[in-house]
Amino acid sequence: MSSRIRNTIRELRAARSMTQQELADLIYVTRQTVVAIEGDKYSPSLEVAFRVAHVFGVPLEQVFQYQVPTKRAK
Amino acid sequence: MSRFGFQEKMLWAQLVGMVVVVAFYAHFLVHAHPGHHYFHALLLVLLFLFASIRTFLRRRSGSVVEDERDRSIAAIGSRWSNIILWLGLVVILILYWDHGSMRSAGFLVGILFHLLVLAGLARIIRELVAYRMAA
Repeated sequence: MSSRIRNTIRELRAARSMTQQELADLIYVTRQTVVAIEGDKYSPSLEVAFRVAHVFGVPLEQVFQYQVPTKRAK
Repeated sequence: MSRFGFQEKMLWAQLVGMVVVVAFYAHFLVHAHPGHHYFHALLLVLLFLFASIRTFLRRRSGSVVEDERDRSIAAIGSRWSNIILWLGLVVILILYWDHGSMRSAGFLVGILFHLLVLAGLARIIRELVAYRMAA
């Protein structure tokens, strides 16, 4: 099931020429977890999310965005 | 770079190990004579082997080999395994409700062994599915 949380990790990583493995080592997770987060298939814990923002030196909301569900018309 | 992480590779190895154990067990049931206990020895060797590989690779690897996602997937697998164990135990109790006593200790151990193998297989397969769904 895909998450409502979107992220810009791939773009931020590409801008810094950083590999998935390098990012994974910096935030203490496996490369497969970085792959899952980038694909919006896994929502990380708040702690990992903050670590990602810290590594890129940007605010949390620049890395992760929550998509508010729209109400269905009755 | 490999598509599979450390945990996923270990799960595949465990699945192959379980299949080998079940195949050997079937062979043991058909061909072994009383007094032969190769099957138990194989089971112990496999358990020791998996524990050793896991410990060795965890210490040797420079990168993180297990993180919060692995732990959450392991929890899903354990839940499935527990459900099967509980259902199996309930079925055993219901089946033998009116007997008063189980047939024999050997028979009971046999049933529990099959139940453990089934629960183990369910855990491994459920975790592999979870890894592939969120790959």
